[in-house]
Amino acid sequence: MMQKDLTIYISGLYSGTNPQPGVGIARSLRRGFPTAKLVGVEYSNRCSGVHWEDFDDIWLQRPWTELNLDLHAHSIREKLDAGGLWISSIDLEIMWLGEVFPDGHPNLLTPSATALKQIAKPAITAHAGLPVRIPRFVTTEISDWELHRFCRENDWRVWLKGPYYEAVRTATWADLTHWRKVLSSAWATEKLFLQAHVTGYEESIMLSAYQGELLDCVHMRKRDLTELGKTWAGDALPVQPDIVSELRRIIRELNWSGGAELEMVRDAEDQLWMLEWNPRFPAWVHGSTITGHNLPASVVERAADITAISEPAESAEFTRVVIEIPVREEFPLSPLPEPFGGGIGHSMKHPSGLIEFAQRLKNGNGNRRSNGHAEVLTGSTESIPRSYLNDLQSVNFKGLRTPANLFFENTAGEIFRKAAVIGENTTCGLRPIHAYSIKTNPDKRLLKLALDSGLLAEAISAPEARKAVQTGFRTDQIILNGPAKWWRREELPAGDFYACFCDSVEELGQVVNEIHNGTFGSKTVGIRLRTPNIVSRFGIPIDSPELFEILVDAVKTIPTTVKFGVHFHMASSNIGTSQWRHLFGSMLRWCGSIQALSGRLVECLDIGGGWFPDDIQNGNAGHYGEVLQLIPEHLSGVTEVISEPGKALAQPSMALAMSVLEVRRYTGGSCEAVMDGSIAELPMHFFQPHRILSLDKESAEWFPLERGDSILLGRLCMEHDVVAANVAIPESTKAGDVFVFCDAGAYDRSMSYVFGCG
Amino acid sequence: MYLDAVNNLTELPVSYSNGHQPFEEVFAPWKDWEPSTISHHGRACCEIVKEWVGATDCSVMNGGNCLSGPRWIRQRFEWGPTRYPTFWCSVLKNRVLDCGVHAALAEEVFSQRGVKCFRAQMVQEFSRSAAAQWQSSWEEDDAITSWINDHTIYHEGCAVLCGTDTIKIWDSSAGWWLDPKTNKGYGSLLAVKLTSSKGSGELSWGSHSIRLNEWRAFG
Repeated sequence: MMQKDLTIYISGLYSGTNPQPGVGIARSLRRGFPTAKLVGVEYSNRCSGVHWEDFDDIWLQRPWTELNLDLHAHSIREKLDAGGLWISSIDLEIMWLGEVFPDGHPNLLTPSATALKQIAKPAITAHAGLPVRIPRFVTTEISDWELHRFCRENDWRVWLKGPYYEAVRTATWADLTHWRKVLSSAWATEKLFLQAHVTGYEESIMLSAYQGELLDCVHMRKRDLTELGKTWAGDALPVQPDIVSELRRIIRELNWSGGAELEMVRDAEDQLWMLEWNPRFPAWVHGSTITGHNLPASVVERAADITAISEPAESAEFTRVVIEIPVREEFPLSPLPEPFGGGIGHSMKHPSGLIEFAQRLKNGNGNRRSNGHAEVLTGSTESIPRSYLNDLQSVNFKGLRTPANLFFENTAGEIFRKAAVIGENTTCGLRPIHAYSIKTNPDKRLLKLALDSGLLAEAISAPEARKAVQTGFRTDQIILNGPAKWWRREELPAGDFYACFCDSVEELGQVVNEIHNGTFGSKTVGIRLRTPNIVSRFGIPIDSPELFEILVDAVKTIPTTVKFGVHFHMASSNIGTSQWRHLFGSMLRWCGSIQALSGRLVECLDIGGGWFPDDIQNGNAGHYGEVLQLIPEHLSGVTEVISEPGKALAQPSMALAMSVLEVRRYTGGSCEAVMDGSIAELPMHFFQPHRILSLDKESAEWFPLERGDSILLGRLCMEHDVVAANVAIPESTKAGDVFVFCDAGAYDRSMSYVFGCG
Repeated sequence: MYLDAVNNLTELPVSYSNGHQPFEEVFAPWKDWEPSTISHHGRACCEIVKEWVGATDCSVMNGGNCLSGPRWIRQRFEWGPTRYPTFWCSVLKNRVLDCGVHAALAEEVFSQRGVKCFRAQMVQEFSRSAAAQWQSSWEEDDAITSWINDHTIYHEGCAVLCGTDTIKIWDSSAGWWLDPKTNKGYGSLLAVKLTSSKGSGELSWGSHSIRLNEWRAFG
């Protein structure tokens, strides 16, 4: 074949800020094959790449939303059979072509459906053998409880990713539930996944191959990025020989044809993490050509058996600019849609209808079913602790006036008993002490359980301390904390306290004075630290040497008749368990400095609370024990460590029963139920999942609500009063039925408010 | 006279290659310079600040790797002239610090993290226009300008050992790792000297070999 007889179809010409590679491929092929006929294939005349000068012709199709796929497939087959080559730059088109041509076609320069299964994200099973790791991930088909755990374990640095495109950072539970609904709706699937973030520099390997033979590859480091994290500039390096060797094997095993891009992040330890294996050339493909690696030409050269013109590298680096080009006469610009009434911007969908195309493909076979996990995962049901179900047996729902708080007495008793011995078996010689945080839920039954279990009480105000005393605590069993512990001072019980941690240098001065005067007593006097890099309004700031020096001087004034302690509190449920450990380590570092500079040994460490129940209860509180082990090497003088669990103890101890007021069923299967409870009784709805139980009347057993597309509306006339979304309401549900919202015993209880009750 | 250079609208062309210049001339103006130091009074007044730097770095690192660059230093302290001698107890009261102090702080941080590091003295290529701007602004502040020479400048940073004999070079005033491939053109590194009080040795930086305590020009 002569070069002038060569026709190459290139699809994917979108050239916005997140461009497809079609234009770059055309530019590269034009250099390699100056007289070849390049035909741009697009599915919208809004894609500006159709106007690019290197295209000799444009084969414009109707958008995917209205395209007759069989007819289109037939047309493509005709073109391939006639000798044309086809390079696709559209992931979904490549997947579709894999189904249309299950045995491939010598002129179709895209990977097969079998190969695509091996590179499906997030597992990317084809990566085996490469010196890369895959960041942790889970499918969103698992229960909310497990999703929340995954987020905590990964410090809420997680990305919610769509099945083909789109990734959204979800830093909170509210973000996650919101974006899950958005992405599930957009892609018409629950098969999303959550993946841990990896911090580092972004790199890629681009390769070209034909029928299982690796032809060329190049290693690119991003040197400038767009706001979306897309490549704006980069440099090209040779791929490491050991990686080339593995790639050659993998490409052979996958019988790969066409381009590919392996997207990776290199962390500070030089570890590579693979995020995606794209089944096509990347948008920066022509950048590689500039550096002397014309990969599109290498594929065409092999497929058409025509030698491409080889050009030397112009530079080892490339960058982008924005340029204006003439519009082709035959494709005049379309009118701009009018903004919606009162709307901002023109609110346009992706012009070629790719999302809708994904929806059309969603019922197909292949990797879409498994969402890229190594094995097909099915949704898991919320796991309900047996003790919850046992406690529910003793609730008399007849005549129960809902919404009603249910006290899970047996559950609570067991949790407090276990809490009292957490950390007891650690071998580091420290005395673990636990104090129930009264503010979390000041219910007398919980306070009594704390007292009976041998816990201390932590109070943030005089009224709380008074309540503790009324429950039976002595003052020397009470820890005073927080910025307003002297509020209503007249109610503060008389007597020496167990510990008092000051929130400011001013307060420390006052407490020291009172100890000298004999108007206040405490076995331990300490400070609460506000370590740098954490946004908090609490504690003593130390983010400048001057502030640090003031603190050190103040610590020197603490009488030697009392122990010196340091308090640190940051809710691990909010910042994640790993980050909490890092903060704890950082706090130990600060304590060491304070100790060295002030000459006062830190004898007592108060590490606060804020744990999600599972994080401290599971594994026999092994993690807590590990944390304690860190202390002696930093602070040899510490003899006791206080923890102040509140949420971890109270959250499982109560549930909220709500009755259904009305069920609204819509065509399509979704439904809404109006409940007599609301976010006023369940204010933590936005921060944590609640396992919801419904009673199966036939079996008289309680079952968790499954994932679905229905929602439970609160009774308030407030738009955001939605107490559950993404749930399946049982078909038999009717007005008067009761749902039980578990895990509502902590701040749901103490921060609930009266609203709309007259 | 340097202000004249700023006012001179006709900028002499710079050939962004040191190929025409003998290697040793690249660093000749600064051949005998020592890395900048922050002095210590030998008392608590200075020690408290060093402790603060280490503890703050531990907090800001946020669980990151010990070999990650301490960008917080540059984020907190702008680049600009510093007057010497400068002491630990007073240096951080300034809002701006020069590259020598940035580098000394980075060295302190890496050392407290337990990372082996070396002070890096560097020569970088910029442009006459950039040099004239710096000349002008530093003269306005009555600061020394001998770090500027035509279109090249003297600069300081910090090299950290990240393998048996491989290093990365941290530009503490820019807040990034220097690229060993960029050895010509605007912002490139033309020469470097790594200082170690513990004898000699040879380290790898990308494809370059660098002997400790010796200037190394890149051609």
